[in-house]
Amino acid sequence: MYSELLHALPEVLTFANFMAVIVGVVAGIVVGAMPGLSATMAISVLVPFTFGMSPLVALGLMAGIYNGAMYGGAIPAVLLRIPGTPAAVATTFDGYPMAQKGQGGFALQVAVVSSSIGGIASAIALMVLAPPLSRVTLLFGPSEVFWVAIFGLASIIFLLGGNPVKGLISACFGVFVSVIGSDPIFGNDRFTFGQLEMLDGINIVILLVGLYALPPVIDLLEVPLKTDGVNGSKLGTEPIWRALPRMKRFWKTWIRSSIIGIWIGILPGAGGSMAAFMSYNEARRASRTPDTWGNGEPEGVAAAETANNADTASALIPALTLGIPGTAVAAVMLGGLLIHGLQPGPMLFRENPDIVFGFMWQFLFGAILLVLLGGSLATNSFARLLNLPRPLLGSVIIVLMLIGVYSIHGRMFDVYLMLLFGAIGYVMDKLKFPLPPVVLGLILGGFAEENLRLALRIGRGDWSILFANVTSLVIVALTVAVIVGPMIKRLLSKDGKTAEGN
Amino acid sequence: MLKFISKAVLAGTVLLAAGAAEAADYPDKPIEVIVGFDAGGGTDVMARTVAPFIEKYLGDGASVVIKNVPGASGQIGVTQAANAAPDGYTLGTFNLPGMMARTIDRKSDYDLDSFTYLANVVNDPNVIVTSKASGLDTLDKLIAEAKANPGSVTVGMSSLGGDDHFALIKLQNLIGTEFTIVPFKGSAPARTALMGGHVAMGILNISEVAKFRDQLNVLGVALNKRSDFAPDLPTFKEQGLDLVNGAMRGFIAPAGLPDDAKSKLEMAFSKLKDDPDFLKAMKDTANPVEVVTGDDFKAMTKDIYDLAKKVWETTPWN
Repeated sequence: MYSELLHALPEVLTFANFMAVIVGVVAGIVVGAMPGLSATMAISVLVPFTFGMSPLVALGLMAGIYNGAMYGGAIPAVLLRIPGTPAAVATTFDGYPMAQKGQGGFALQVAVVSSSIGGIASAIALMVLAPPLSRVTLLFGPSEVFWVAIFGLASIIFLLGGNPVKGLISACFGVFVSVIGSDPIFGNDRFTFGQLEMLDGINIVILLVGLYALPPVIDLLEVPLKTDGVNGSKLGTEPIWRALPRMKRFWKTWIRSSIIGIWIGILPGAGGSMAAFMSYNEARRASRTPDTWGNGEPEGVAAAETANNADTASALIPALTLGIPGTAVAAVMLGGLLIHGLQPGPMLFRENPDIVFGFMWQFLFGAILLVLLGGSLATNSFARLLNLPRPLLGSVIIVLMLIGVYSIHGRMFDVYLMLLFGAIGYVMDKLKFPLPPVVLGLILGGFAEENLRLALRIGRGDWSILFANVTSLVIVALTVAVIVGPMIKRLLSKDGKTAEGN
Repeated sequence: MLKFISKAVLAGTVLLAAGAAEAADYPDKPIEVIVGFDAGGGTDVMARTVAPFIEKYLGDGASVVIKNVPGASGQIGVTQAANAAPDGYTLGTFNLPGMMARTIDRKSDYDLDSFTYLANVVNDPNVIVTSKASGLDTLDKLIAEAKANPGSVTVGMSSLGGDDHFALIKLQNLIGTEFTIVPFKGSAPARTALMGGHVAMGILNISEVAKFRDQLNVLGVALNKRSDFAPDLPTFKEQGLDLVNGAMRGFIAPAGLPDDAKSKLEMAFSKLKDDPDFLKAMKDTANPVEVVTGDDFKAMTKDIYDLAKKVWETTPWN
């Protein structure tokens, strides 16, 4: 089972495939460092352009960007208290105080080393877990896949944040979009308004480019960012080999945060920001000096940055084995695989082992390269990126988006559709509706509907087929736990408070 | 004004003359083939495999360019091809029974008479497979079970109104019983569900099961004689069941093609079946060849249309 892993290695080490990872990591750091631009956006803009590339070059770029962006987000988080990506919010808690104390350089070095460690752990998890999982996925028929989709929809609950009503509205919008197109069983048109272009449903890449890329770009043009004061001399950087010994004491945090990140990545629905928050909280709880947290504790940076990289490769475990992407990034990456004719699922591991396992190696190399490229060479120069003229950058990205979306199917219709989603995304952004539930609603809603109906046909209309085997029941139990768990927790903590009051 | 009209007339005459000259030494510019699917799909691979051989047989530096116009199961592309200028420089790929079934189950901007039928090139015959878990490892056992408990056998296949569906309807009519249809989105998920034992039986195409013979029971192939693709696989006819059906892929042009272009193209396509290089290239890309040209192709399309129409009238699928 694992011999194919070694077999794929020489392929990954060819010049073009390895260069792709390097370019991806550098590009990812740049994108991540730009406030507003996220990994999801960069990869969705990239996907249409990968069509002419060989699969491993395309996937290497994506793996590199994903890893790079998760670290890149830490740069403005530390230096300006502006998270470069949503996943870097928790990094600002201690990173920015460190920078104010003149330890910005050390904070970035902690961030890059932790990111790298998280990424390596995640890549290893993918390599170890995905192949055996791909063997048992034959157990997943329509009723089991239906429950996995429901489980994912239930875990949107984690994403709702401060305003559950807005989150649920977002999720419902996503589910609605999944209904557009031909009926999965009978092929009747639904909400297509007679447009043949809509018959195949809404392409996830078009939706993501519109929803995720356009609003931040408009934001980039709207809001001037004052960045004076970012220059290398103030960072207090020392060579990374001298900084490393001072990080030894973080090893427990690294391990704990990696596990949290990997687990959150595997769960459908949650993503990097939640991994970072959870691991920050856990690390603080375990710390002997919780008072220093929030005032420039390097371990806080380590916890947040390890976790937001540890969910990268692991998010692909359900995507590659079951074809169910758990995060928006994983969804775009699946789109990239499909462009190259690679159908996710158990057959992928049999028919294209070199590509799947090569992709996993690229995640590992991407994570290792992160420390070399981000750490020793260029932290200073990356920090200066923040001084780039933002209007110029925004215009370039808009042009890339238009070309990219047009080239998916070679039609203007898709471009208009993307602009429409961009407008919707902009309004949602301004009204503070969260975007991730839309994407998950779209992906998982479609899966849930199709598989529920297939399962019911197999059961000839008998609903008991949904509970007919152990695999289904286990997933049902998990789903109930996800929904009920937080409620019980809240009840218990309320009881605790009233008890204290007495 | 008069001057303008005379100019326009003159220009028109020149154009007509040019048109006539063009037809005489067809082709004098690149021929575009509209493929209604994404690059890399089955129909696209067929078109790209066929293109260089058509260039060879048209001779005289002819060039064939593939243009992908994907969407709506090939509908967008074939509609574009049907409405193109019938000058021989725009051709299209054509899938059966899909392209005809769509004229029945939804509103379409083309019909049986919208095309000049050039050639069918691929016939990917249907096969009946059963999952190992079902225990139905022979055709007799399958038929016995289906007759004993109508509706108890679940059949995984790709969408309704496709070749798989018509094969099943033919089978139901032949043996006089009912199956439970489970239409997946494409044949790859249907095949995966079969391998996992979630459906008992499947109708697929021979090119889709060739690599999976050890994980599925392949009970027979819906051809008149055995396929070169898997010569050890018996036909249904050998087993006493008159079931012949498959997915066809070929080439059409808009209706009203000039005779010169039509005859040159038909000639080029008809030479394919005797070209060993072509046959090898098609075998390598999992495309079972069955070349049918011109009027025979049109008659074949008409038969399939009639069958689809009859099925639709008795048991509409949406």
